[in-house]
Amino acid sequence: MRALRPHHLVHLLMPLAIVLAFAWAPAADILGETSRIIYFHVPVAWISVLAFAVAGVCAVLYLRGAHDPLREARFHNSMLIGSYAALLATVSGSMWARLMWGSYWNWDPRETSIVALLLGCVAYLALRAALETNPSRGRISAAYLVVAMTAMPFFVFVVPRIYPSLHPDPLINPDLKIRLDGEMRAALLCSAVAFTLLYLYIFSIMQRISRITITLEERAHEE
Amino acid sequence: MLRATRAHIRKDFTVEFRSRFAVSVAAAFAAITTLSVSLAAGGAPLAPLVHAILYWIIVFFSAMSGLAHIFTREEEEGTSLLLRLVAPPEAVFTAKLVFNCAMLFALAVIITPLYLFFLNVGLPGPGFLALAASGTFAIAASSTVLAAIVARAGGKAALFTVISFPVLLPVLWICISTTSTILLGADADVAGSALFLLAFSGALVAVSYMLFEHIWSEE
Repeated sequence: MRALRPHHLVHLLMPLAIVLAFAWAPAADILGETSRIIYFHVPVAWISVLAFAVAGVCAVLYLRGAHDPLREARFHNSMLIGSYAALLATVSGSMWARLMWGSYWNWDPRETSIVALLLGCVAYLALRAALETNPSRGRISAAYLVVAMTAMPFFVFVVPRIYPSLHPDPLINPDLKIRLDGEMRAALLCSAVAFTLLYLYIFSIMQRISRITITLEERAHEE
Repeated sequence: MLRATRAHIRKDFTVEFRSRFAVSVAAAFAAITTLSVSLAAGGAPLAPLVHAILYWIIVFFSAMSGLAHIFTREEEEGTSLLLRLVAPPEAVFTAKLVFNCAMLFALAVIITPLYLFFLNVGLPGPGFLALAASGTFAIAASSTVLAAIVARAGGKAALFTVISFPVLLPVLWICISTTSTILLGADADVAGSALFLLAFSGALVAVSYMLFEHIWSEE
């Protein structure tokens, strides 16, 4: 039997987050029941940023240390999870935008930032595909990730502060404070923790799969 | 190191201007796109925002058509292996960076008057010229390391655009919005935009120097 790890708490926290989001937290004034999407849209947007940040850090560590395939799998797997999270954040945000702002897409600075993240993912995956047979694939794709990570803060933090945003002030404001009711804040924090654990859980499963794949490839190579 | 860098700069300019392939293709690309935009517009007046978008899209795609050549040429002609053995990576990167910046400046010098002439845009002030200079520098400086990546990935031209676009989006966004404000005749914050572009270029060039050895050297 495998030892329990902190990320296994996701089995408890995710159902709790869903119950809190739909049954315990009150609907926001003016926004109504649609505001409950905040408990899913914000956490997936958060884990997309977290996954990219982890991928960036892992890419730097890979370039500085030994270039072994398992360390390469670390940043690649985090990028894959980040891509799906960015896609989910875009879709959930777009659904909410249709209800709140009247159209699915408004080129709000944050919408533009997430599109840039998605384009970054597409570019990274295209580069990986082009380097399929190159023995330096790990180093070159890690280097591209570091370049992209250097450019991303200019998007995610600088541009939305230069241009006015349609995004609601309670979560996105220059003071970096959550201006929500106590119950809504608790539900949001619970959901954010649950999604972070979900990211760690999926990441650990993908790393295990990568370890098996690498071992099998090495065995095939030896034979 | 300084001597090696100077020698590489001289070599890159000599080799490129011997065939003039990249420069002439990129210049022809820039002229053709500007002319086709003018032809399609048919003299119809365009909004300042549309002018800003078209101008920077032409600059961006002209850069994409020519900037990768400086690295792909080394791979195609088989000279990269010798360069890896005899030259320090920093000297190679500096030479390519200087060449790409000079080339995109030259392209901007062709594109800007052509655009102003064929699309009936009035003569812009020094603010626009300062923005165009810092924008072209930002595009050239940030995409040089990406050109090295593309050369290692088989020199696929389409891949250069795909991997450069997400990285250069902040540059294009700032350039387009500030150019549009300038063309509207409003009070644009050119100094702030130029500072943003220079900060962006500085960050990318610093990271490029740190990464170049990993991209350039063989496994």
